[in-house]
Amino acid sequence: MSVNPQSVGSSKKWLLSVDGWAVLAAFVAALLIRAGVFKHIPW
Amino acid sequence: MADTIALPQVRPAQPSLQFLRIIPGVLLLAAVGYAGKLLEKNVGAYAKAHHWTFPNIEYVLWAILIGLAISNTVGVPQIFRAGVATYEFWLKAGIVLLGARFLLGDVLKLGGVSLVLVAIEIAGATAFMIFLGRAFGLRPKLTSLLAVGSAVCGVSAIIATQGAIEADEEDSSFAIAAILALGALSLFTFPLIGHWLHLSDHAYGLWAGLAVDNTAEATAAGALYSDAAGKLAVLAKTTRNAMIGFVVLAYAIYWASQGQAKTIGNKAAFLWQKFPKFVLGFLLISVLATYQFFTKDQITALANLSRWAFLLTFAGVGLRTNFREMRKQGLRPFAVGAIGEVVIAIFTLGLVAGAGKLFGF
Repeated sequence: MSVNPQSVGSSKKWLLSVDGWAVLAAFVAALLIRAGVFKHIPW
Repeated sequence: MADTIALPQVRPAQPSLQFLRIIPGVLLLAAVGYAGKLLEKNVGAYAKAHHWTFPNIEYVLWAILIGLAISNTVGVPQIFRAGVATYEFWLKAGIVLLGARFLLGDVLKLGGVSLVLVAIEIAGATAFMIFLGRAFGLRPKLTSLLAVGSAVCGVSAIIATQGAIEADEEDSSFAIAAILALGALSLFTFPLIGHWLHLSDHAYGLWAGLAVDNTAEATAAGALYSDAAGKLAVLAKTTRNAMIGFVVLAYAIYWASQGQAKTIGNKAAFLWQKFPKFVLGFLLISVLATYQFFTKDQITALANLSRWAFLLTFAGVGLRTNFREMRKQGLRPFAVGAIGEVVIAIFTLGLVAGAGKLFGF
């Protein structure tokens, strides 16, 4: 399970919540793509 | 939920060591997801070459099936569990990146329609689940958890409500097991019903986003139908997720008035704490795409990155679903959840059909 009740408190050890990390990672990736570091992501 | 996959109770450790702990599981997610992608490509080609009649099975279903096969046969070894639990991170990152494929005008228009439907769905689903819980004699707080899980957004809503109304962990385990088991069933039933009813991508996506409870399952159920349906399912589900704070607050106030939970002091702070931040990320990326911060090629790259993130999510959906563990949770919460879900699915299908006539989709 993604978020078992017992696991909720563990997010504190990671400084940010899962939401926070996900938003941060997505924006870093978006900025790297915008800056041309990654020009093409294949699918 | 003894054998559920969760970030385990670990002793304090260096952040770098914590990061290392997730690597095996993330690699497993990637391997299962990529195997699904390879199977989609090669099984179809092999069947065609040998003149076999074989349905075109999308990578989404392959990834889920491989994950289910591992989880329900050999099980997920301990070393992989922390990494497999990151599937929720990939889901949310994928949703934020998906925002690049929506122009703000579309988000406001579709989100507006979704918001109205979501409000009706939440009111109807909550009332029906409370009625059903009472009829089956479930404990009141378990009924509240099932109602919020069915009406709003599955596991996250149950966890948020459990803390706010001070419900037992056993109750939340029952509710989570019921919601997840039904979510797994919806992956197989929703696309079949959608094709049987010849629903358009738009109508189906909206329906999946409104009726499937957990965000990962709603995303997968949408993607199983078509890419366009997957986009719409995510948008409708994200709108539903945005309501979580209000519903949890309402329950917290109710149970506090009964003297069975703490009173909420600062309601605005409570709403912000419960608000899913990835919804804001999704909107912000959509605003940036609308104002041409990204070129067309960059939007394609962002959309592909979102697909990769979802691929890991779909693998995680299969890997964390263990039917044996779910069976242990008992039949009554599952029966209440199942009856509720069927009624909610029919109710939301009616809502989508009505909206489709009104807005022409």
